Amino acid sequence: MSVKILTKHFHIKDSHKIDVYISDGGYKQAERALKEMKPEEILEEVKKSNLRGRGGAGFPTGLKWSFVPKDTGKPVYLCVNSDESEPGTFKDRHIIEKDPHMLLEGIIITSYTIGAHESYIYIRGEYYPQAIRLQEAIDEAYAKGFLGENIFGTGYKLDVKIYRGAGAYICGEETALLESIEGKKGKPRLKPPFPAVVGLYNCPTVINNVETIANIPAIVEKGGEWFASLGPEKNGGTKLYAISGHVNKPGVYEHEMGYPLMKLINEDAGGVIDGLKLKAVIPGGSSVPVLRAEECDINLDYDSVAKAGSMLGSGAVIVMSEKTCMVRALQRLIHFYKDESCGQCTPCREGTGWMLKIINRIVSGNGRKEDVDTLYYIAKGILGHTVCPLGDAAAMPVMSFIDKFRDEFEYFAINKKSKVE
Amino acid sequence: MSVEISVNLRKKIDEIKKKFPRDKSPILPLLHAFQDEFGYISVEIEEEVAKIVGVSPVYVREVSTFYSMFNNKPVGKYHIQVCGNISCWLRGYDEIVEYIKKKLGIEIGETTPDGKFTLSRVECLGMCDQAPVMQINGDFYGNLTPEKIDEILDNLE
Amino acid sequence: MSEKIKVTINGKEILTTPDKTILQVAEENGIDIPHYCYHPGLPVAGNCRMCLVEVEGARKLQTACSTQVRDGMVVRTDTPQVKEAVRQVLEFMLINHPLDCPVCDQAGECGLQDYYMEYGQYDPKFIENKNKKSKKATPIGKYVILDQERCILCARCVRFTRFITKTEEIGIFNRGDHSEVDLFPGKELNNRYTGNLVDICPVGAMTCRDFRFKCRVWYLEEFDSICPGCSRGCNIKIYYNPHRPHKADGNRVLRFKPRFNPEVNRYWMCDDGRYGYKFIDENRIMYPLKGKEEVYLDEAINSFVSLLKESIPDRTFYLLSANSTNEELFATKKFFVDNYKLENIFLPDEDIFTGDRDDLLITEDKHPNTNGVKAIFNILYKDLIKLDELRELLEEKSISLLIVNRHELPEDVLDFIKENGIKLVYLGTNFNKTSKAADLVFPISVFAEKEGSFINVDKRFQKFSSRLEPLGVSMPEWVLFNRLSELMEFPVYYSSYMNIFKHMISEVGAFKNIDLNNINKYGVLVEL
Repeated sequence: MSVKILTKHFHIKDSHKIDVYISDGGYKQAERALKEMKPEEILEEVKKSNLRGRGGAGFPTGLKWSFVPKDTGKPVYLCVNSDESEPGTFKDRHIIEKDPHMLLEGIIITSYTIGAHESYIYIRGEYYPQAIRLQEAIDEAYAKGFLGENIFGTGYKLDVKIYRGAGAYICGEETALLESIEGKKGKPRLKPPFPAVVGLYNCPTVINNVETIANIPAIVEKGGEWFASLGPEKNGGTKLYAISGHVNKPGVYEHEMGYPLMKLINEDAGGVIDGLKLKAVIPGGSSVPVLRAEECDINLDYDSVAKAGSMLGSGAVIVMSEKTCMVRALQRLIHFYKDESCGQCTPCREGTGWMLKIINRIVSGNGRKEDVDTLYYIAKGILGHTVCPLGDAAAMPVMSFIDKFRDEFEYFAINKKSKVE
Repeated sequence: MSVEISVNLRKKIDEIKKKFPRDKSPILPLLHAFQDEFGYISVEIEEEVAKIVGVSPVYVREVSTFYSMFNNKPVGKYHIQVCGNISCWLRGYDEIVEYIKKKLGIEIGETTPDGKFTLSRVECLGMCDQAPVMQINGDFYGNLTPEKIDEILDNLE
Repeated sequence: MSEKIKVTINGKEILTTPDKTILQVAEENGIDIPHYCYHPGLPVAGNCRMCLVEVEGARKLQTACSTQVRDGMVVRTDTPQVKEAVRQVLEFMLINHPLDCPVCDQAGECGLQDYYMEYGQYDPKFIENKNKKSKKATPIGKYVILDQERCILCARCVRFTRFITKTEEIGIFNRGDHSEVDLFPGKELNNRYTGNLVDICPVGAMTCRDFRFKCRVWYLEEFDSICPGCSRGCNIKIYYNPHRPHKADGNRVLRFKPRFNPEVNRYWMCDDGRYGYKFIDENRIMYPLKGKEEVYLDEAINSFVSLLKESIPDRTFYLLSANSTNEELFATKKFFVDNYKLENIFLPDEDIFTGDRDDLLITEDKHPNTNGVKAIFNILYKDLIKLDELRELLEEKSISLLIVNRHELPEDVLDFIKENGIKLVYLGTNFNKTSKAADLVFPISVFAEKEGSFINVDKRFQKFSSRLEPLGVSMPEWVLFNRLSELMEFPVYYSSYMNIFKHMISEVGAFKNIDLNNINKYGVLVEL
């Protein structure tokens, strides 16, 4: 039986309610942290825990917090990234729906650690029912005195506000998220300066993913070393793996970092549907390079997936069976990135639109053999040439799909029909 | 044309301004509130929001046209948004959307003549575990089949 | 001053300061880094991605416009990787750009054309249909026309209205490759600096309604000058058309553009000044007039001398112009005050206290050289006369000869002159009601046709020169006074412009700190 941190309450009835959460020891860690621990001590535990950002980039959380400058005289903000828009990703939604108080407790501890008195939860606009549930949880926490003035009688003050997005994948990028909370278009900012120094309203800001923050109470409770011991080296804790696509039981499964991908597909998710053969897996949300079936014998932690030439990303595993036409699948993805490009940088703005025109043409039976090379050429022209990672996110799937399934693309372009269907 | 602001909306506006006092932060929540009330964001609403926030209407229009959830033209009473991204597509988006199109007699981007339904294709809704999914005015519907769609749409007043 | 640091660009070691970006350091050292969105007068955007360079130690190419230099930084702009990236960014920029250079007014000064020739020259791979946008050749203000399909979304125009004029009319609406630069529906550009939008647009998305299709830019020549539209003295370039004189109704000057002066106007100028150029070629006084008849210059000068001799200084009255150059004013003072002993010499307050000013460039004094008059004649603002009180003054002093430099006299003064047989001499560049009522009219060359200097509102002495010939027999005022002096048997001073300039610098107290051999290109502050 593997350790459960984030999903441990999911099976309990009304797990989203504060009384249920409290009855299982909820908010004890926040109370202990505020009353008994100095911010530096908490930071030390988080550093020790090897917790890495669960939003996709896998940046060490403790290190990120430590970038916040001390004594600038400006307020410090915590922004919780709940934009969850990476295709295939739905893990944060489960936390918000089933255990919002674990998130809030994490927010209290994190805010206290970084010296924030105001925290914004940026939730994607489409998560409307989830925003309501989260607001109910916040209201409950205020009513209990866990938020607001003088929390746990310690004099510490914290306000938590929900800010709803309105349909823009790009706002999951941390600086675009800040722009959005400031009431602007979600246009990523140039870095430096980094948000830890110049963030929300030009103040020092930490931006963490929902899942990242939800881990904090457990780290405070059981210590950084314990958390670090759960996964392989430098990959502390458990991970929510969100699996979807051609599997029998799509869903969110929590395992220690480094859980084998094939085990996730075959055991947790009940295997590929209709007894079909596995063809390909996108292991970390739509932006990361695709893996062929034979490349899938890997463990799901940041370093192992990277070694296999892809990325763990958000831990969103998209499974494709032998019946999947990779050309049409890529068409979906290009359509997405074209729709979601903010339009700021030339290569991403123009390149995604160009790639979509080409792949639409191929799929409509008007392809040419050289189109495949042009697609690759465009992706290469976008890669690494933009302000934010959306450009790379659009380029990587294209390059990896073509690298790994070139024959399907050329077949479609030349024969005007799918090789698979 | 000026925008009639109801008592309820006025209350929401005041709450938003109080909750997000800094910079242009009220713009997104205000646009949500106006869209909830009017169904879409007209040029007049953009001007109204600009006045409330104290900025050039250009800023508001930049925001309202940037974010895909803000409708810049009227939509039907029920806005059906079908996810067409990869996980939903793998689980039958094509059939689902064809079924809805046929059932309502409209293409993507169109509204039924009675103004009841607008059909849109949207990107990943974060409901991939229940693919294929759609969202109608904020509510999610997953594991869609033709039968389920009949049941859902037929029960909408 | 910040400390010096060492940066290496393309192997060249450069000493500089850490407050600069790679792009700035490169430009200062003659290393060209292509760019569209970067403009030195605007905040950095970093969106066009043309200025990608290799920085040693960085994983990815960096934008030179947004990357600060640091000590020991090693930058390369000439590697195959950089060249390929720049070439491809340019290709992206052009895929949806219309191929309409032959009918585009930007052609010849277009960033896309220029960089294509330098960094592009690829075999185009794009075979799809280009994106359509909503506005083609749509006027968005009095002077600006917008073509969204030519736009490369560098957002310079957005930043200009946001950070320079702070009028915020322009935004980028929608997102991705259907983003469009536009105004709010139903609105027009609402600032007095819209011509700058045309200047800063690196492509043909914003072109000038005034200049459009008058002349291809490669037929134009240019020279540096100072805008005479108000006392700001914005530094400008004057574009004229010597090669295609049949174009633009025969007008020589076709446009003004601002010229960088960090102390005066930075990169900008106002529309009033920019589009105020038409007086150079239109409605000009080209030949002397006596009564209504054109006469030879000698005859006109003889007549003027007779009038001066018939009148006496006490009954002669001279209205100075703050449009005259310092050199002209100096000659005027020599002639009338020092030699003719005239005391009735005044500057009217016309167009000086208009109340029309802003915080950017526009000043309320609509003359370029009121401070020049102050410096040379020691006139204070309290000494200015009001034109509507001129009639009483003429009456009080029993004036018999009135000499007007450029002004338009009020109707009551013109009537009074007529009724009382006062002789009226007009010195000016363009016809007006006063010139038409004058007994003698002398054609004066406009600022763009002569060398000279003005002193701006901030007491900055700025010199200008010319490459245009005076129209007809129009001449600088000091040339006219030379001729008059000869006939009046006053000492004649000035063999050349340089000669009068030297005399002026050495004799006028306010100019004592001007170093003749070293006049800063951005002008010199004088003491008033």
